[in-house]
Amino acid sequence: MSYRMGARMKKKASYYVLNIITWFIVAIMVFPIYWMVKISLHTNGEILDGITGFTIPKPHWVNYIDMWDNINFSDFFLNSLIICSLTMVLACAFAVMAGYALARFKFPGSGTFGMGVIATQMIPGIMFLLPIYLMFLSIKETIGIPMIDTYWGMVLVYTAFYTPMSIWIMRSFFVAIPRDLEESAMIDGCTRFQAFVKVILPLSMPGIIATCVYIFLTAWDELLFAWVLTTTPDVQTIPVGIRLFVGQYNNRYDLLMSAATVVTVPIIVTFFLTQKYFIRGMTAGAVKG
Amino acid sequence: MTLETRTVSTNTPHKRTFGTRLKASFKEHRFAYGLILPTLLFMMMVHMIPVVQGIWMSLLKLNQFTLGEYLKAPFVGLKNYSDLLFNENNPVRQGLGYALRNTAIYTVVVTAAVMMIGLFVAILLNREFPGRGFARAAMLLPWVVPSYVVGILWGFMWQKEGIINHILVDVLHLMDEKPYWLIGPNTIWAIIIPSVWRSWPFIMIVFLSGLQTIPEDLYEASRIDGAGKVRQFWSITLPLLKPIIAVQLLFQLISNVYSYNIVAMMFGNGAGYPGQWGDLLMTALQRQTFGYWSFGAGAAASFLLMIGMLVIVGIWYRIFRSELRAE
Repeated sequence: MSYRMGARMKKKASYYVLNIITWFIVAIMVFPIYWMVKISLHTNGEILDGITGFTIPKPHWVNYIDMWDNINFSDFFLNSLIICSLTMVLACAFAVMAGYALARFKFPGSGTFGMGVIATQMIPGIMFLLPIYLMFLSIKETIGIPMIDTYWGMVLVYTAFYTPMSIWIMRSFFVAIPRDLEESAMIDGCTRFQAFVKVILPLSMPGIIATCVYIFLTAWDELLFAWVLTTTPDVQTIPVGIRLFVGQYNNRYDLLMSAATVVTVPIIVTFFLTQKYFIRGMTAGAVKG
Repeated sequence: MTLETRTVSTNTPHKRTFGTRLKASFKEHRFAYGLILPTLLFMMMVHMIPVVQGIWMSLLKLNQFTLGEYLKAPFVGLKNYSDLLFNENNPVRQGLGYALRNTAIYTVVVTAAVMMIGLFVAILLNREFPGRGFARAAMLLPWVVPSYVVGILWGFMWQKEGIINHILVDVLHLMDEKPYWLIGPNTIWAIIIPSVWRSWPFIMIVFLSGLQTIPEDLYEASRIDGAGKVRQFWSITLPLLKPIIAVQLLFQLISNVYSYNIVAMMFGNGAGYPGQWGDLLMTALQRQTFGYWSFGAGAAASFLLMIGMLVIVGIWYRIFRSELRAE
């Protein structure tokens, strides 16, 4: 081979090198998840002996049943599902409304409201964790409505948490929809509200789906507040359940990894089903600012 | 309602009349206020009132004895703050110095790594090659894994006889001896690497869609002018991505300073102390405040943390002001 490679060959070489790098990165990214699933299919004895093989020799599915029975996993799962779904519906509805208001109207205080929404993201959670806890206690003492250990207490907190970011995602969607659409709908006799519901909402469906997935994923992931604001398995969510479980079953990594797999797989599936909308929605918000 | 909004001036440009008409109409304002009302109520209950209470609490002697009195606990002025800053015997203060140092290292390293890897891989994926869609989806996987799972999973993989040491020592022979990752100074890497692993894919996706908005003509023109790939990156790609970089940088800074889940789940089976090199501000504050029941001091520390955050955001704003204004 001559010392000077042709430009074409050079280009081809770099194409393959870049491809190799890309797939190498894919492997690094996927490996830990594969490892989690793999470990969940080993017996505890095998895990304690140390596992070095990269394949799954004989899947030990019983781990999943043991895990499910041992930690009342279905309770935690159901709690998470209820709290996250309610949060998703509420926060998304609020975000759609407020996002639309920010995208379309300039009203006295709109700038302050927009900045205030962003500013909430800068407060450390621990700053209002204790006040909320104590406020919840005193609500029970003074009005008699229990807030700690309730679904609505958690939903209230989570809705307020995840609405701000959602507002900005939805806002960027509404900004991209031409105003003419509502205007002509209004000329055709719709009220402003009807124009919003009949014309704008259907058009922003991808944004709404993206926002819903965002809210659900983040709520599914929340640990700190759930840890402090819930104390009984009737309302505790999966992260709390897993944390308690880790404390109890120190070295049962077989059960722990099967729990981790059960928690992760549903969201991976949901994510891939909605991937198209989600990526478009999240990046639209992020790119347009 | 529609009638009055329709009949006002029609001789000014279309878009503006619509806006001005909205502005003029009180009814329209009422609609907008109605739209933000639920958000406002929730933010009031969960953000504003508790934060004001939190600031007030930071001026009180609030511990296990006075907790019942809550906001009527003895007022001590700035004592919590001075204790926190100057009193070495204050229990809440214990380990906070380490936590602060670790958080600083963690935030800088994670943010920088996430932004750089994100941009690099976005450029890698912004080419045509077989399996591109699959590669992109597979890379996004870690971002969907819940962070508490990330903590447990990596905590397991970092064990001395775990898979990472196995790969490093037995397979690749990069080290002679299996190091401890979860004890000692290595801990900081044990928390940084999983955080980077989980965070960069999202940044990559955002950068990728940013890259796709850059018109191909620009690269074409600069190629004709003789610019190489490197030159194109510095003079076209980077400047055009700057607004996106600015926004993502801010979100990264905030979420890394307030990082909690991964560290909380990785050490001591979810309840232990991550050690001098693994403790972050959020885990330290949560543990110290609730562990010692010293809520006044905890509130003071949180407030100082919030001020620190405002300073960071202020610096960020000064640097990127021009990018944001262009929007």
